[in-house]
Amino acid sequence: MNQFTLAGRERTLLMSFMIVGLLCMGITYFTDDALHTRFWSNFLHNTVFFIGIAFLALLFLCANLIALSGWYVVFKRIWEAYTQFLLVGLVLMFVVIIGLWLNGHHLYHWADKASVMADVILQGKSSFLNPVIYTLFTVVILGIWYFFAMKMRAFSLEEESVAKWDFTVHKKKMRVWASWFLPIGGFSSAAIIWLWVMSIDAHWYSTLFAWYCTISWFVSMLCITVLSLIYLKSKGYYAEVKADHFHDLGKFIFGFSVFWTYLWFSQYMLIWYGNIGEETVYFRERFDNYPVLFYGNLFINFVLPFLVLLRNDTKRKMGVMTVICTIVLIGHWIDYFLMIKPGVLHTAHELMGGHEAHGAVEHGGEAVAQAVAHGAEAVEHASSFLIGFTIPGLLEIGTFLGFTALFAFFFLTQLSKAPLVAKRDPYIDESLHHHVV
Amino acid sequence: MKNKEVLFGLYDDEEVLLSAVKEAKSRHLDIMDVYSPFPVHGLDPLLGLSESRLHQAGFIYGAIGTLTAFLFMTWVFTRDWPLIFGGKPYWSVPAFIPIIFELTVLFASIGMVVTYYAINGQGPGVTNPVLDDRITDDKFCIAFEVNGANESTVSSFRNFLKDSGASEIRTKTI
Repeated sequence: MNQFTLAGRERTLLMSFMIVGLLCMGITYFTDDALHTRFWSNFLHNTVFFIGIAFLALLFLCANLIALSGWYVVFKRIWEAYTQFLLVGLVLMFVVIIGLWLNGHHLYHWADKASVMADVILQGKSSFLNPVIYTLFTVVILGIWYFFAMKMRAFSLEEESVAKWDFTVHKKKMRVWASWFLPIGGFSSAAIIWLWVMSIDAHWYSTLFAWYCTISWFVSMLCITVLSLIYLKSKGYYAEVKADHFHDLGKFIFGFSVFWTYLWFSQYMLIWYGNIGEETVYFRERFDNYPVLFYGNLFINFVLPFLVLLRNDTKRKMGVMTVICTIVLIGHWIDYFLMIKPGVLHTAHELMGGHEAHGAVEHGGEAVAQAVAHGAEAVEHASSFLIGFTIPGLLEIGTFLGFTALFAFFFLTQLSKAPLVAKRDPYIDESLHHHVV
Repeated sequence: MKNKEVLFGLYDDEEVLLSAVKEAKSRHLDIMDVYSPFPVHGLDPLLGLSESRLHQAGFIYGAIGTLTAFLFMTWVFTRDWPLIFGGKPYWSVPAFIPIIFELTVLFASIGMVVTYYAINGQGPGVTNPVLDDRITDDKFCIAFEVNGANESTVSSFRNFLKDSGASEIRTKTI
């Protein structure tokens, strides 16, 4: 079977999951606090997570093209289909942008004019952290990514019409465009991560953060690839994809889980060693109020894949790979949860009652004492256990399922638009005879 | 070490070598060893070689390295010579981790190299008998041990080498 069709039953299932997601988002919205903090942070969290997966599929596709590798060719349609999700991502980010301009959400501390007025640090960053730049960068960068995604997909389909050993399209178009996308995608993703994720903790910054986020996306992308392939194989598609392909995907998951840990730890250790207040605040917050997720994050995203995927044979077993990839995918979702939620909650608390406490720092002792009395309630609130922030609640899980279903639906629809195996790719034979042991 | 009398055939091409090994298996000939200048894909399963356990040894060496580094630094900084660096506690694990990592890699790599050499009887000062110098260049070789073998066995080896396309057939005592 070289043509995928989305069966009615699967379509209904995905639709119902999307409805569950919508319902959960609706419930979140109406049971939320006055600023709809939980709703908007869930929305941003899942949007960023899945855009990243689509982006990394494109980046990895291009990297493989430049490296002249052939192993992935047999299932490259999967990654091409992922990249098309960037269009949905653009629409979803547009919702965030509209919310930003209409003051519909308060995800970003720098977007609140009163806070910026009272805050020297935010003023200093305001030439980059402002709604105009946010909108411009998001639209332009996501637009460029989607443009490249369309182009790469179009070239790949164009290749179907050439002779098997004809390298014209491959060399003249795909490789050239891929070599352009690697630097563009590499640098622009860093900027977009600063705006989307890092600026949530607007006072804080880390030079490592963009890499760390990107690798989190990358591991998620690989996990979702493995899960998609296993699903499609169970439906009788992709008989050409063998244990050897899973072996290589498993090696990538293993290697980049370790690399993720390396970046996570590098960021952590430098901040821990430097011990500068404005840097340690990021980890202090997560230590104190999110201990389970903080250590759990390291355990699921490092210890588990490291020990399980270290062996040669586990990467070739579908059962083990399914379990590990599901867990690690959720692990990286939780990683993003930890990047986004604490900062958003902090901003919300400041806006809802801690304004004085914040402004007071610049105004000296007496004001601080006054503000502490005022803001005491807010501060107490901040350190208490809160479902949906301290740990993901049922509504978060429902929202995640909804977004996953949306991603899966879009991906499978795109997948059904082209033959599953790129028979004319010059590297297809290498991929069909891929052998790693 | 007892000398071995070896009958061997040299092949010009790895594909011929692969089909020859298949043929030898089907004739139930007892191959002593196969030599090649580079790893030939698909040869290991044909010869029935089991997967190397070197990496398992590597894991153990690595784990020993991890423990050595961790326990040693713990002992030094809590018992033997406590020092304060950068206002941190004596026992500050994050600072240990880079060294733990380095020692894990060091132990694993050196341990694996030494194990590899020891098991294969190689290393400095050891000379290994070579059947033909060109085996390290462009020839592929199938070798049979013919110590005390009777005429008919030797001639069956010889016939096999001739049939399977060996370009040279020789004997050598090593």
